[in-house]
Amino acid sequence: MPRARKGALVQCDPSIKALIVQIDANRNDIILEELDDTHLLIDPTKVDFIKTELNRLLSQNIYDPLDEEDNP
Amino acid sequence: MTDHQYQTRSKGGVFSGMDRDYFSDDSIATDNSDYADGYLDGDDAFESNRGSAKSKAKKPQKKSSQRQKKSSNETLNMLAAKDQSFLRDVHTDAPSDFVPDVVSGLFKSNDFSYLKLKPDHASRPLWISPSDGRIILESFSPLAEQAQDFLVTIAEPVSRPSHIHEYKITAYSLYAAVSVGLETDDIIAVLDRLSKVPVAPSIVNFIKSATVSYGKVKLVIKHNRYFVETSQADILQMLLKDPVIGTLRIDSEGNAANEASQDKNSKVDNNENKKPVDPNDVEAVFSSVVGDNDIDDDNDDIDAVHAFEIANASVEIVKKRCQEIDYPVLEEYDFRNDHRNPDLDIDLKPSTQIRPYQEKSLSKMFGNGRARSGIIVLPCGAGKTLVGITAACTIKKSVIVLCTSSVSVMQWRQQFLQWCTLQPENVAVFTSDNKEMFQTESGLVVSTYSMVANTRNRSHDSQKVMDFLTGREWGFIILDEVHVVPAAMFRRVVTTIAAHAKLGLTATLVREDDKISDLNFLIGPKLYEANWMELSQKGHIANVQCAEVWCPMTAEFYQEYLRESARKRMLLYIMNPTKFQACQFLIQYHEKRGDKIIVFSDNVYALQEYALKLGKPFIYGSTPQQERMNILQNFQYNDQINTIFLSKVGDTSIDLPEATCLIQISSHYGSRRQEAQRLGRILRAKRRNDEGFNAFFYSLVSKDTQEMYYSTKRQAFLVDQGYAFKVITHLHGMESLPNLAYSTARERRELLQEVLLKNEEAAGIEIGDDADNTVGRGAHSNKRVKSKAVRGEGSLSGLAGGEDMAYLEYSSNKNKDLKDHHPLIRKMYYRNLKK
Repeated sequence: MPRARKGALVQCDPSIKALIVQIDANRNDIILEELDDTHLLIDPTKVDFIKTELNRLLSQNIYDPLDEEDNP
Repeated sequence: MTDHQYQTRSKGGVFSGMDRDYFSDDSIATDNSDYADGYLDGDDAFESNRGSAKSKAKKPQKKSSQRQKKSSNETLNMLAAKDQSFLRDVHTDAPSDFVPDVVSGLFKSNDFSYLKLKPDHASRPLWISPSDGRIILESFSPLAEQAQDFLVTIAEPVSRPSHIHEYKITAYSLYAAVSVGLETDDIIAVLDRLSKVPVAPSIVNFIKSATVSYGKVKLVIKHNRYFVETSQADILQMLLKDPVIGTLRIDSEGNAANEASQDKNSKVDNNENKKPVDPNDVEAVFSSVVGDNDIDDDNDDIDAVHAFEIANASVEIVKKRCQEIDYPVLEEYDFRNDHRNPDLDIDLKPSTQIRPYQEKSLSKMFGNGRARSGIIVLPCGAGKTLVGITAACTIKKSVIVLCTSSVSVMQWRQQFLQWCTLQPENVAVFTSDNKEMFQTESGLVVSTYSMVANTRNRSHDSQKVMDFLTGREWGFIILDEVHVVPAAMFRRVVTTIAAHAKLGLTATLVREDDKISDLNFLIGPKLYEANWMELSQKGHIANVQCAEVWCPMTAEFYQEYLRESARKRMLLYIMNPTKFQACQFLIQYHEKRGDKIIVFSDNVYALQEYALKLGKPFIYGSTPQQERMNILQNFQYNDQINTIFLSKVGDTSIDLPEATCLIQISSHYGSRRQEAQRLGRILRAKRRNDEGFNAFFYSLVSKDTQEMYYSTKRQAFLVDQGYAFKVITHLHGMESLPNLAYSTARERRELLQEVLLKNEEAAGIEIGDDADNTVGRGAHSNKRVKSKAVRGEGSLSGLAGGEDMAYLEYSSNKNKDLKDHHPLIRKMYYRNLKK
């Protein structure tokens, strides 16, 4: 019996995909299907969460000189 | 994701639980605690970890060295306090009749619209922020060049890209300005001339408060007697009335030049000061900017010198007391009137050309016919050595040069002989294998910091040399690469060697831990800092195109990256196959253009992997000297060898004027200095006069990893110098490169397996033989090499080949070594060994 599920298609770099997989690893409720290297099908209700989480993680790799001046 | 940590943010917290082996390295640098905690440079993450790993063992020394530092820090703290109070009492100077306009509220305390623009503001290039002393300069203004000369003197250059420059006035920079002879009123007058708005009262007050006491009192050595000099009678009065200083005064008939009668002494000085002023001098800038108005009066005023003599023994006390009463003394050396120390017959050869900026920097040092101590900052390859030599030729007294390694010792010696008329018999070299001194009454000694600062037992010979060095007076001491030397070591050098004038030379006066200001008090203020962009426009250093190449992590690598510990992550982003491909592509591309390429990697494992896979020669810490020379010579003269791989050893000590392209695959975290030093490798590029960009600097960065963070941080210094980093997200044509490495998924997986099997030690940065570490190690490096060679060897008969086993083991090791090399390299470098 075929079953239909609603999903959001995410297209991204392989590295971002790896990040999403990593986020999902602890909770297992985000990714519905890993399609290929650059595509994922995820739970549409989690899209915003993924966005903020990615922003948080990626911003750790960005150097901001002003940031450093504020809290030396 | 809970264990997702980035060592950059948690400064050092990440490493603490890790394998200590890396930090308890057996390099000599760490077992000599004196040196270990004093490294002037180092990345924050790296440094703090070293500290934490060893803190227990080092505590006693740390304490004592801190106590030592205290005295110099006091002055520093005072300056800092001045800066602070300056920041606080700003918002008071808006005039009472000032009516804020509609938008003022948006700017809150940053609303400076009460400073009305001058009618001719368009032709004035400056704006000074009343709240923090930042100066914004329009560098396209016709007045900019003169303004720059002035600003470099009174303020710290913060950022100097092509159109708008930023400077910052600090109490310290003002101190430096005063020490080169500027007066408070001159500074304010010139600023007012150049500024678009009237100079805010807060700034004026700040300048006044910072300059009122500094540089007013000078300690001058004449005929080997110490004089306290000041240009203002009231200060002299005050000093004489001081309970400590007043009693130390010596009344000698010939020098009754105190405030009552300005006789001989001041007249002598008058004459000296009337000597023609160098056209590049600050004074000249004044006259061009300020106009000729009261310059002459000013000069007369300065020249009226009031002085009294103090005994040699009481110099230290007077200095200390002056510091306490907030009138720190400036030390000057009146070398022309020093007849006690024999002159050295040294002059620049007529063929020697001094570039304008070198002359300018020296004019700051010899402002009024006397030598003052300080630091000169010039980019790598801009001729720091020549500046030092010229200064020595001006002073014409015995000179001692201290540098970081024995290689540069030989370079200095050779340069001295090349540029000036100094006779070889007057030049002595003091290193671990050369301890001869000159026999004449004056001469030049070149040595390393570690030789001079060594406190442990010396051999008889070197003790003899040390006695020679400490037993006499030196006219001049040159301190090369001052930024790398630990403060404690400096103090020892400066105190053991009696030199009248000190000159520090460096390219990069930055460190990650802001301890650079210690230098200012150990040597002297920064006298001059060159503008990199200006030098490269004028063709003195190469014009460099900088690029940051973003290499996406492959999916497999990134997955592992996210899973691994911080140390292992580093290995993963360095060994990223895309990065490898980018490197391969860039090497091929530039070899076709005819460039000579240096590839830098701090990580030795990656260095070897890359070099072996690409079949290029490489040099790292353990490469024997003979092999190094061989490789370097081939790189210079053999057109078959266009690419070499270097580890940290190449950062500073290796001079390769042929190199025109530089690729960086891994680096020392966020060290801005390393980035600048590496760039320095290609600034000497020979073909610097070609049209357009003629040197290339690529930094390969794995996308979405910590490396991005470090990379941006590293670039900060060069960006401030005006270099623009172009970001390359995709190298066009990389995929179609024939025999591209790791092009199949299988190869990549194999590489990944290999990387994962490596233990964390492989991720470490080479504990290395570069300028950071050689200082304080230098003399001992032999020891380390020796211990390595001895390990695993058998008895005497074994060494002689008598024992089969030992012999076999030895040869099989060597063979493996050979196989690792490309056949071409093998053929070239190992033929002799095989025989």
